[in-house]
Amino acid sequence: MRSISFLASCIAAASSFAAAELNQSKPLLSKQVLPSTFTPPQVFKNNNLVKNINLDKAYPRETINVIIENIDSKPQSEYYLPFETSLISKIGGLEVRDRKAVEKGIFKAEVVGIDEDSSTEFYKIHLPEPLAPNAQQTLSISYSVLSSLYPVPAQIAQSDKQYLQYTFSAYTSSAYLTEKQRTKVKFPNSDVPDYTSLPAELNDEQKADPQKQGSTFTYGLYNNVPAGASQPVSVRYEFTKPVTHATILERDIEVSHWGGNLASEERYWLVNQGAGLKNHFSRVEWQKQSYMNPPTFALKGLNLPLHSGAVDPYFTDDIGNVSTSKFRPGKKEALLELKPRYPVFGTWKYSFRVGWNADLSSYLRKLSTGETYALKVPFLEGPRSGEGISYGRVNLRVILPEGATNVKFSTTVPIVDNSTSLHRTFMDTLGRTTLSLTAINLVDEFRDRDLIVTYDYPWTAGYRKPVVITLGMFAVFAVVWVLGSIDTSIGKKKAA
Amino acid sequence: MSSPLLDVWEAASGSSYHPAVGKNTQFTVGFVLLFTSLILGAVFGLNRSLTNLPLLGVPASIAFGFGAVYMICAVGVYV
Repeated sequence: MRSISFLASCIAAASSFAAAELNQSKPLLSKQVLPSTFTPPQVFKNNNLVKNINLDKAYPRETINVIIENIDSKPQSEYYLPFETSLISKIGGLEVRDRKAVEKGIFKAEVVGIDEDSSTEFYKIHLPEPLAPNAQQTLSISYSVLSSLYPVPAQIAQSDKQYLQYTFSAYTSSAYLTEKQRTKVKFPNSDVPDYTSLPAELNDEQKADPQKQGSTFTYGLYNNVPAGASQPVSVRYEFTKPVTHATILERDIEVSHWGGNLASEERYWLVNQGAGLKNHFSRVEWQKQSYMNPPTFALKGLNLPLHSGAVDPYFTDDIGNVSTSKFRPGKKEALLELKPRYPVFGTWKYSFRVGWNADLSSYLRKLSTGETYALKVPFLEGPRSGEGISYGRVNLRVILPEGATNVKFSTTVPIVDNSTSLHRTFMDTLGRTTLSLTAINLVDEFRDRDLIVTYDYPWTAGYRKPVVITLGMFAVFAVVWVLGSIDTSIGKKKAA
Repeated sequence: MSSPLLDVWEAASGSSYHPAVGKNTQFTVGFVLLFTSLILGAVFGLNRSLTNLPLLGVPASIAFGFGAVYMICAVGVYV
């Protein structure tokens, strides 16, 4: 029995790796494709625009605050935001809100592409209420740019400081005329050895460009920048922290009604996108320094805050159990502290899996209307750290009980793909209904977003497992009786 | 930010799902049922007859079916 389950888990493990490799194909990004002659209708103008670039974390976070004005004669509701094709595949978690009415929630935004040869693609932002002629609205557009920081120099010694370079446009790319705009860059510290200086003539205030204030640089003010204008600038700044990126995160959430359990498992394929080591790794130097705990660009550990009530955690990698982990259960949260087998320096990789169990009662509710259940789980858990972590692709599977139907879900995380299929595992006859969701280019700021799933689960479906085993066992008894009552004796039968 | 499913979730507050047998009693229940099934099966084995097949075989099978489900949950494979 044990060897069978071991074999089954081996096959499951092997299949998950195979699936992971398949997933590295091109990102699933459903989009509308427009003809190459398309240009966004010039119905808006940007009155005032401020772009904030925050480089505190291991990925740039950009927020565009813009006052838009409808200069058309009709109400308009579609605002286009252009990006270069090479950049748009790195944009993650784009969210648009009304800065003056945040309670209105997140506006609908979708990617629209122009045919294959075009170098520009757009995010089409749907304003919930059309903007009347001459009316103004303040938009707050925030997003992260993944895999866009490059270490310069690309190779450094083990205890050196790491410097990252980020290239962006001092003019915010826009499909409309922008009357006034500034770009503010917030660095993690004031150690910024190199940056592009723009000629003072470009600047409307005729000042040195950029203006420096501590760890914040400001490019601009620029007046009347036409649509599509761009002014590339680069900055190089100190960032002696790991640039942690998960190329793939596979996350499984398994609901068990019989066991009253919610099992979570996460499989990570991490890479440190920081600078590589110039020389060989020196264990002696590493060990000498670790006592002083200096800042380093190597990834030393990960802290996973789990919800309180998490039990039975495990942390394994390709070799087996990794014993350098601590689990601190608590009332508010349970902290799982992981240490990889080796410090992960720039360009190095580390893949592992963690999992834990929790009581189902805090995640699942039964609705008063019949046999419907509602499940509320975090879309993303995972490490929390000051420098942050970015995810190239997140594949989330919610494995519901066998026989669950009518699956619906809702989440505020931007999803690129969803499907419902069957997942076959222990003691299944049909296979468990599985909701698969895919998101790309997420960052750790999405940790607290919830996923709500509702499904119908009739009680008859719930009894499938014990009934199948019962029937099987009864068949054994019946066969024993039939075989036992065959008369195999030789000789004459005794008269009764 | 409100969505229809979030309202559904909020409406069901106070009716969180609790299984018939809690996590702490799964092993006991599973063990008792499997042991009952073993005893009944053994008795049937000693006296195999057509009347004993439904009389002992059916309760033994049911006890085995539910016992197996609870025992496999108790050992950590939550089915």
